[in-house]
Amino acid sequence: MSATTAEPWSPGARRKARGGGRRRRENPFVYFIALVFIAVCIAPVLYIVIGGFRTNSQITSSPAGLPHPWVVANYTGILTSVTFWGELANSAVVAFASTLGIVVLGLMVSFVIARYDFKFKGAMYSLFAAGLMFPLVIAITPLYIVIKDLGLVDNLGGVIIPQIGFGLPTTVIILVPFLRAIPKEIEEAAAIDGTSRLGFFFRMVVPLSLPGVVTVGILAFIGSWNNYVLPLYVLNSQANFTLPLGVQAFSSQYSQDTAKVLAFTSLAMLPALVFFSVFQKRIVGGLTGAVKG
Amino acid sequence: MMSKTRGAAALALGLGLALAVGGCAGGSSGGGGGSSNGQVTLTLWQVSTTGPGQQYFLDAAKAYHAMHPNVTIKVQTIQNEDLDGKLQTALNSNSAPDIFLQRGGGKMQAMINAGELQTLDLSSADKTNVGSAALASVTVGGQVYAMPVDTQPEGIYYSKTLFQQAGITATPTTIAELETDVAKLKTLNVAPIAVGAKDAWPAAHWYYNFALRECSQSAMASAAKSLTFTDPCWNKAANDLAAFLKVSPFEKGFLTTSSQQGAGSSAGMLANHKAAMELMGSWDPGVIASLTPNQQPLPDLGWFPFPAVAGGQGDPSALMGGNDAYSLSKNAPKEAFGFLEFMLTKDQQEAYAKALQAIPVNQQAQSVVTEPYNISALQAFNKASYSMQYLDTQFGQNVGNAMNTSVVNLMAGTGSAADIVSQTIAAAAKG
Amino acid sequence: MSDTLGTDTAPGRQSQGTTRVGDAAQAGSPTPPRAAARRRGRARMRFEIALLSGPAILMFTAFVIFPVALAAYYGFYRWQGYGPATDWVGLNNYRLIFTDPAFQQVLKHNLLIAVLSLVIQGPLAIGLALLLNRKMRGRAVIRVLIFVPYVISEVIVGTGWSLMLQVNGAVNDVLAHLGLGSLQSDWLADPKLAIWTLMAIISWKYIGFAVILMLAGLQSIPDEVFEAAAIDGASFWQMQRRITLPLLGPTIRIWGFLSIIGSLQLFDLVYIIWGQYISGTAGTSTMAIYMVSQGRDAGNYGYGNAVAVVMFLISLIVALIYQRLILRRDLRGAVTEGAS
Repeated sequence: MSATTAEPWSPGARRKARGGGRRRRENPFVYFIALVFIAVCIAPVLYIVIGGFRTNSQITSSPAGLPHPWVVANYTGILTSVTFWGELANSAVVAFASTLGIVVLGLMVSFVIARYDFKFKGAMYSLFAAGLMFPLVIAITPLYIVIKDLGLVDNLGGVIIPQIGFGLPTTVIILVPFLRAIPKEIEEAAAIDGTSRLGFFFRMVVPLSLPGVVTVGILAFIGSWNNYVLPLYVLNSQANFTLPLGVQAFSSQYSQDTAKVLAFTSLAMLPALVFFSVFQKRIVGGLTGAVKG
Repeated sequence: MMSKTRGAAALALGLGLALAVGGCAGGSSGGGGGSSNGQVTLTLWQVSTTGPGQQYFLDAAKAYHAMHPNVTIKVQTIQNEDLDGKLQTALNSNSAPDIFLQRGGGKMQAMINAGELQTLDLSSADKTNVGSAALASVTVGGQVYAMPVDTQPEGIYYSKTLFQQAGITATPTTIAELETDVAKLKTLNVAPIAVGAKDAWPAAHWYYNFALRECSQSAMASAAKSLTFTDPCWNKAANDLAAFLKVSPFEKGFLTTSSQQGAGSSAGMLANHKAAMELMGSWDPGVIASLTPNQQPLPDLGWFPFPAVAGGQGDPSALMGGNDAYSLSKNAPKEAFGFLEFMLTKDQQEAYAKALQAIPVNQQAQSVVTEPYNISALQAFNKASYSMQYLDTQFGQNVGNAMNTSVVNLMAGTGSAADIVSQTIAAAAKG
Repeated sequence: MSDTLGTDTAPGRQSQGTTRVGDAAQAGSPTPPRAAARRRGRARMRFEIALLSGPAILMFTAFVIFPVALAAYYGFYRWQGYGPATDWVGLNNYRLIFTDPAFQQVLKHNLLIAVLSLVIQGPLAIGLALLLNRKMRGRAVIRVLIFVPYVISEVIVGTGWSLMLQVNGAVNDVLAHLGLGSLQSDWLADPKLAIWTLMAIISWKYIGFAVILMLAGLQSIPDEVFEAAAIDGASFWQMQRRITLPLLGPTIRIWGFLSIIGSLQLFDLVYIIWGQYISGTAGTSTMAIYMVSQGRDAGNYGYGNAVAVVMFLISLIVALIYQRLILRRDLRGAVTEGAS
């Protein structure tokens, strides 16, 4: 260390100081820390996945061991069960529909807030921003009454529609600056070409806002996929369960068979992980962009 | 543009695919009998999740369908701990099942108040099958709201083998004797008593029984009516429990032990000889049987009534107990009642008793009760001067939950004995 | 999220732009009186605003705003959820809430969780971000992997962890294998340990998210600043303290806000692991658990709604205080002044 500080101009000092640059020889200590960090994050996930390949007696006798032998019966049993695929389908339907609703409605209203000038613009924005203070968990008790009175209990629509409503605040908060950033010149050019504002919206704004829309859509999808408390209140019959409810019901029903529960849990994790790995650049990039402004 | 249309196509395809699969699996919401061209479909909610218990209901549905081909019964199995919540949601959102397990007491009263239950019109044959004692527990204001199917006197199930190994020659008849036995069992390296405190109510049953011994019958009845707990016997019972807890009778980690779920539950511990005793109602042998290594009834299981408490105003022969009963939701078709009557017939009751290791309410079927523990329980039940509903059922969900939780707090050392009564009274004000 | 940190491009020109578009649309036609044209333009604008924002506002009002009002309404009643509410009790439910030792306990728990989340995750995330903020091989892979716990639902996290943390589960087993058998404990049931177990699980789930946020914030600090400081002879730690941390300030403050709000709403994890009855005894109950167990699970819908209102007010007060005191520098009134 002393060698590098003696020469403040040297590439070594700069890199050590701030971290970054075209260094060839990376600090093994950093890699070690990174490895430990990753191990801590991934190990429990791996435990769940691998645990599904064991039998319950294996787990009882050696809780933290590896499968010996590897048993696929748990996984195949679940993969061939109507319950699992039904719950997967329910989760998918709910997530797709919610995301669609959130994105479409959110984009439209963000456009209005971002690019129209009218008296209640500020109030409209504050309306949605205030919604951040009343998230689903807190709102569930009266929300359930509303859903019940609309006759939507035990109905996937009773999950989709509220989720759209509750997904709007975050969407608006993210999309408004995005849309505001679209240069005036484009709008003016469109106007000169005789395009109406609505035309401008559909033909130009929507494609231009795609990065923000994708970020918002992904957040909405993940939020819907992992939502537990709303389906807990609204969905009653097993056939309508989404995956989080299914995991809880399965772990309750088969609580004597830890291996089976682990298998179900890891299969329930899979769609979210697959989705994440496909879109991870977008998700991480979107968050990064959101922070950097 | 290309990526956008591709993206849109993918979205549409995914949505379509999901809808297609979802249509196969999702669909029929909740309950409510469907009826079309004479075909009637009924939904039934019951709580036996494993083995012969669940099979009994499936067989009964099949048998009934054979007798009445136009009636199909869909049996839905709900985990016992989830039943009350799901039932409440289903009932007050008009998606209730046609036939469902009824706890009785205050919980039933809440449903009656909301007009969610059908009154049952029992024939004299039905009434004979049920018996007057059980019938009394499901009758409110002269109307019958549920069909009892078994009798569930509560007592302490114990392992005769472990008792022998510990040198216990006679089952305890007083709390002092019970504490002595607990000490003896500790030398065996098993849990003297298993309790599934995670579900709260198993822990609370200890309080109920102390209350049963301390409180006179009239004190308990008036508390049930007015939901006030001013009689000092309630506090005395709490202090009794606190004193009993001082000998550490329960297993380690009782706070996260469930009562019926898996080999680690309190029933499972008894089934695998990891615990010597458990205070439970007479559904327990059935649950234990499903958790033994060979999934057969535990051969050395015995039963004795809750010991006497010195100076208590309650009759020492009184029993805590309830009935499993089945109610009909207000919109259930009339065929549902036919199924209830069917369940009460001698053959069905005998099958029920065998499958669930329970004491059937139909006295003609009680001859199949051959297990020693059930015989003991039945004898004690017949001799009992009176029996009380489990207090959380009796007092309704709101007060019952509060009482249960405060007992768990006492057991875990995070609450005092006096808190039990004060928390229970406080809860009455909330609902 | 982004608006609170982002820079507004051309806020002033927007209003000019819209009127100019209106004018431009009329420019080509033979001239009707200017005022009428503007009225038509404005009516048209109002129509478009209504068309575009209507559905969202409808959804939002019906399912988010309306329940707030409904909760306030039912909170004044004793009501079991069946039929109309008839038993008016005024502020009694609220009195019961604030005098209930169980509620005071969950307030304490939420406060503890919020503070501990900040204290545990904050420094750790910053440290890890500093460490990882270099062009190392596999940087992208690292980012993906540490984000995995965030993507998995709390239900799955809770189910998996509760199986691992059982007395005879994997965690105790690993401790035994490592020769640390004396550390084996009842991680979930011991009232002294349970809250720390909960904090460990929460940290595990959300640290990746914090690190990603911090990494993003670090990347917006230009290299030249560090180079200049290095020229001036600043040490590594001096640079972190004087340059990195202050410039990371907005990110840290935003993350803190999200963390606090999330801590106040914690429900799924606790409900899955400890259930509705014993989380209080174990010392891990939260306000949301209290609301669900006293409301829905006990059938006290009037009381449950009152708890919801209390939670809402607490969140609102915390958020407003935080924004006024801490975020003021970064925000320029994004929430309070909004879209100007």
